[in-house]
Amino acid sequence: MSEANIGGNAGSASPAEPRHLRRVLIIWAVLSVIGIAIWLAVAQFILPQAASSLDSADNFTFLVLTVLSIPVGLFVWVFLGYSLIVFRVRGRPTEDGVPLQPRPSLQIGWLGITGVLCLFLVIWGLFAFYQETSAASASNTLTVQVTAQQWQWTFNYPQYGASSAGAQVIEVPVNRPVEFYVTSKDVLHGFSILAFGVRVDANPGEVTTTAVITPTQIGSYAVRCVELCGLFHSDMWEAVNVVSADAFNSWIISQGGHV
Amino acid sequence: MSSTTDTTTVAAVKRPNLINSLFPSVVSGIVLGVVGAAVAGVLVNRMTTAFSPKGVPNDDAVAAAVYTAWVLFFFIGIGAFNGIFKWAFSRREPTPAEELQVAGKGQGLWRYFRFTTDHKVVGMQYLATVFVLFFFGSMGAFMIRLEQSRPGAIFFNPQTYNTIVGMHGIIMIATTIIMISGPFGNFILPIMIGARDMAFPRLNALSYWLLFAAIPVFLSTLALGGFPTGWTGYAPLAVQELTPGMDAYCFLILIFAVSTTIAAVNIVTTVMVLRTRGMTWGRLPILVWGVLLSVILSLTAFPSFIVSQIMVMMDRIFNTSFFLAASGGSNWLYEHLFWFMGHPEVYVIALPAMAVAAEVAAVFTRKSLFGYRLLVGGLVGISVLSVVVWGHHLYTSGSENALVAPYMLDTELISIPTGVFFLVLVGTLWRGRIWLTVPMLFVCGLLVNFVIGGITGVYLADLPTDEILHGGMFVTAHFHFTLVGAGVFGFFAGLYYWFPKMVGKRLDPLLGQIHFWLFEIGFLGTFISLFQAGLQGEPRWAADIAPPFATANLIASLFAILIAASVFTFIYNVIYTLVRGERAVADEWGAKTLEWTLPTPVPLENFEELPVVTSLPYDYGSPLPGPATPVADITGAITQAPIQPQVED
Repeated sequence: MSEANIGGNAGSASPAEPRHLRRVLIIWAVLSVIGIAIWLAVAQFILPQAASSLDSADNFTFLVLTVLSIPVGLFVWVFLGYSLIVFRVRGRPTEDGVPLQPRPSLQIGWLGITGVLCLFLVIWGLFAFYQETSAASASNTLTVQVTAQQWQWTFNYPQYGASSAGAQVIEVPVNRPVEFYVTSKDVLHGFSILAFGVRVDANPGEVTTTAVITPTQIGSYAVRCVELCGLFHSDMWEAVNVVSADAFNSWIISQGGHV
Repeated sequence: MSSTTDTTTVAAVKRPNLINSLFPSVVSGIVLGVVGAAVAGVLVNRMTTAFSPKGVPNDDAVAAAVYTAWVLFFFIGIGAFNGIFKWAFSRREPTPAEELQVAGKGQGLWRYFRFTTDHKVVGMQYLATVFVLFFFGSMGAFMIRLEQSRPGAIFFNPQTYNTIVGMHGIIMIATTIIMISGPFGNFILPIMIGARDMAFPRLNALSYWLLFAAIPVFLSTLALGGFPTGWTGYAPLAVQELTPGMDAYCFLILIFAVSTTIAAVNIVTTVMVLRTRGMTWGRLPILVWGVLLSVILSLTAFPSFIVSQIMVMMDRIFNTSFFLAASGGSNWLYEHLFWFMGHPEVYVIALPAMAVAAEVAAVFTRKSLFGYRLLVGGLVGISVLSVVVWGHHLYTSGSENALVAPYMLDTELISIPTGVFFLVLVGTLWRGRIWLTVPMLFVCGLLVNFVIGGITGVYLADLPTDEILHGGMFVTAHFHFTLVGAGVFGFFAGLYYWFPKMVGKRLDPLLGQIHFWLFEIGFLGTFISLFQAGLQGEPRWAADIAPPFATANLIASLFAILIAASVFTFIYNVIYTLVRGERAVADEWGAKTLEWTLPTPVPLENFEELPVVTSLPYDYGSPLPGPATPVADITGAITQAPIQPQVED
């Protein structure tokens, strides 16, 4: 961009002046490739454990966004670092820098590239979002009513007449769609099961539903409150176990339900 | 105002004795304010007891009365209404001598403790207050990090912990809002545009002393049981909360928002009408643009904040039901009102910091801004777009899904004008003569941090990723990167840059470098580990951290020690400089904006002759003449120069 731009001032630049712009772009490209490679290698250790298809999709979006972010961030950092090393003068500068101004093509190009990136993010986000919300309830969808109150969760299984009252751990069957109906008895709470990609506010006086999700991994996961709800907000969490259908049925019976 | 009557005024002023010094001043203000508050408290206590069927006083009404009376009587005591009685009721204009008297002429250091109208006094008052508030706020942060270093309650019970988090949050938000528009917007901005004072000097004093009056209200929450809602004060919880500590929070917001609104009106008017000859919109220094756009944005944002807190107080005092679902209210109402303020407000904080970075970068690269108009366009774009982004705070609130798309689009669009800022800054550094002073170090720190803050914002703006991050530590780390990493770093860049002009002494560069490196390393370490904690699912505002997040939090706490060390390095630097620092010269850095053409300390009324501006203040390396030509005769010849003297490619 600026190499050609200061061509008119060539007299002030020394003839042996290295081609800064080409150099810095090469450094940027190399570091970006290295950065993306490192990220792809370590992502599996950094991203949270996914136990549903929805959360896997969320994790994939996270992965893609990071791949895009690395060159964007490095662009600023590489130019910054290069300038600080190469153009730094010791002590108070005695002469002024070259008064560069961006060319219209650079301005338009920059706006265009950031605009395209931004539109990509919006389209990607909306596509993923409407895809997950449009997932229709299957006939065997498990309904779980979640009631938040200071500072505990209560889960009801209306299809089975069972309730989690008195239980520290709730269970859901593996590979069966489940939909949560969330409400609150007192103040605002936030219902979140990170491993399922489920997160919705528990509003007093309103029932909100989550997307229909299907737990895919047997294991134990945390249900957390993620909106500040008063004194013991941080203690408002419970475990949700994803279990086989048989184990789920026996748990339902132990909770006073019928299969 | 005129300076021709100076000599006669000085002769007429009597040598002040102690009584004259104390009244009117902040001392008499506090005395009268406390007395008034006590009387009002007792009266309302008796009244509500008498009217209550059960014979118990309404604590919230008492708190509201005490705070109202405190503010009112504080202002009577400090003499804010003297002018009204002296001039408005006697229907005459104040004489120039009286104007200079209110502006603090001949009052020595006492002028800093009075209702003084001189914009430089107000700027210094703001600066000192920002220091004190930052100190309180950072101490809150260290208490939080200390408590979070290991799982389980170490020092604080949840009640205390929640109050500390809330106090840290609101004190830092308030301080970052005023940190640049307050000190630099009042001290530097009028000089930059070639004005002798702000457009409304008395409103200027009022805005500062309102801020001062809010501090005791805020601290009183500690004695009244604290507040458990965090800085957001979400409504059903805020209404349910029984201690009057919550009223202190609501009242703090009311006073603070009124103060900021008054300051905003003043700054907007000043920039519109008091620009000196030749200071066209196209030649405004970039700091002026940043502060101007920021305060315009705050004018749109803060009214809804005031409204929300009045509604909460009505719910608390008069048992109305704006937010209680049981009797027809809705918590969504509060969330919308709050975030309609809450998201523009982060740009209220960021815009001046970005402007400071551009201002400083141009000076220390000895290079004109790489696209002045482009940057102004970017800042305008940010402020326009940011008015309607608030809905992304309600992505997971359970509202209608169709609402997500416009909010997501608007939130992502903001990255375009923000990208322009990076282009301009990087382009300004490119091939400059970079003089790596302490202000410049902070600008580089800002660029490093703001990239991370901006990019992590994308994850929160995009719904699929927000779904696993919303309400978690990732959010906390993200907004610390923008508010601290960009905002506070911008403030420190400005502080090290303008301190020689404002105080007349040069902050020690070595201590400044130590301050920067401790701060930057500590900051990156602390909040990058919190990103990781958030990604693993740690919720915000958790008094007791769950075991899976212990390691990340311990690392964050260890790095926070470096930030603590940087805070104390900075305090030592300021005290050391005030006591035995070197005297600064008038043009400390070789900058070309108008404030550097004035002697240090800047005289009352700034300019003897108003300067005439002929170009942008960033024309380094260009053959054109300097920006300001203070001409002896205003009516004399004015150099004709193009509005935009840059060499457009």
